[in-house]
Amino acid sequence: MTDSARDVMDTRLFTLRPEDTVAAAVARFQQASREAGRRVFGMLVVDEAQHLRGMVSVYDIFLLLRPKHTHIWGEMTDLDLTGLLDAACERARPVLVGDIMTTDLITITPETHVLLLIDIMIKKHVRRLPVLEQGRVVGMVYLSRVFDYLVGKLVRG
Amino acid sequence: MAVIDAKNVLRGLTVAEAMRRQVIAVHAEAPLEKIIRFAFKYKVNAILVQDPQQHALGVVTKTDLMGAYYAGLPLDTPGKAVMVGPPLFCHQGDSLDQALDLMRQHRIHRLYVYDEDPRLAVGVLAYPDIVGMLYRFCTRCNRSILRRKRADTDANLAEYLRVREVMTPTVETLDSGASLVEIMTALAATRLAAILLVDREGRPAGVVSKTDLILAYKHRLPPETPGERIMSAPVRTCSQETYLALALRDMIFWDLYRLFVIHPEDHHLVGVLSLSDAARFRSGTCRACLVSRIAV
Repeated sequence: MTDSARDVMDTRLFTLRPEDTVAAAVARFQQASREAGRRVFGMLVVDEAQHLRGMVSVYDIFLLLRPKHTHIWGEMTDLDLTGLLDAACERARPVLVGDIMTTDLITITPETHVLLLIDIMIKKHVRRLPVLEQGRVVGMVYLSRVFDYLVGKLVRG
Repeated sequence: MAVIDAKNVLRGLTVAEAMRRQVIAVHAEAPLEKIIRFAFKYKVNAILVQDPQQHALGVVTKTDLMGAYYAGLPLDTPGKAVMVGPPLFCHQGDSLDQALDLMRQHRIHRLYVYDEDPRLAVGVLAYPDIVGMLYRFCTRCNRSILRRKRADTDANLAEYLRVREVMTPTVETLDSGASLVEIMTALAATRLAAILLVDREGRPAGVVSKTDLILAYKHRLPPETPGERIMSAPVRTCSQETYLALALRDMIFWDLYRLFVIHPEDHHLVGVLSLSDAARFRSGTCRACLVSRIAV
């Protein structure tokens, strides 16, 4: 089958373990960005048997950094908050990936048609889709790669 | 009632203006492990349980999760087995006062909000969100206690309030050798969100919150585990003579809801300061507002 996930997926995978800390996860994000030559905003979480357990994205890390009680003190504009972000980062570093990962994942197979996967991206508001073959992760489809692929097709017309 | 109404600075505000639109929900079959992760990740005390049509079935709170841990339920137990329902709703067009009355009647701090379909949650109204709004209104209100005092003394009293004026002068403590079971029993009996563990000399050793307990549950620690293993230490304290603004800043920096208050000389515990109380006091909230009459 042509124009399927297989044509647009990245097969070089960077993964995390549920027992990794957030500090280790962000270091891996940086490493992955360097090695893949593009910004990595989300990473799969797999167990020892390489089974997909979840995904951690930048949004999950935002949620973790977000202070819990801003609804109470957010109106107090007169307080000096120098250093607040450093304190939040300090608290976030030891948290485990398994405690903040997203587990409601939509997965596709290498045979999923590109038009079907962009339909999923639109309807579910996701930018990346893990590609599974017989229960194992074989790739990842990123919105940016799909875009490049579609642009390539569109200009030729 | 009419007199109170006339004085109410929040009058005219609706639920829609104060509610959060992000409702953290799971389906009825979602395992407790996932519900714990959601409570931790989204920093909420309650998770809504919905049917496949997204109609509200019930609520699982951190207290319910702690109860499940206490009862030894497996982590794959579905949320519907421990949820309490149906949840209480208010309409997004209701006045904030009506909603607060409902909270007060039922002694709860959270209402789900519906729009057209009375079973569909479009938002959630939590008491602490209203405390934040109060700050905005009360600091500008003519009836604000601080404004009235300020007129007398011509000084910015909000800057000079001290912790001892605002704190609750009682503290629940447990021995630092207490097990998680004993801590859960104490928390269930007191309706508190966290308990202070003290050493043999009565000095603060650590704090165990409901969040710490549900994470211990998720990490499969046996309930007989000593509390010391999961407690947050050192305990964040402040002197009763500290300025309230400084204590508030500490709570914000450490992302805490409460600070334990100690005597400046002998360092023994004299009370606890909650963020809501500090915010209400600092804003000069008076008894004119219905909202100020709900115990946090």
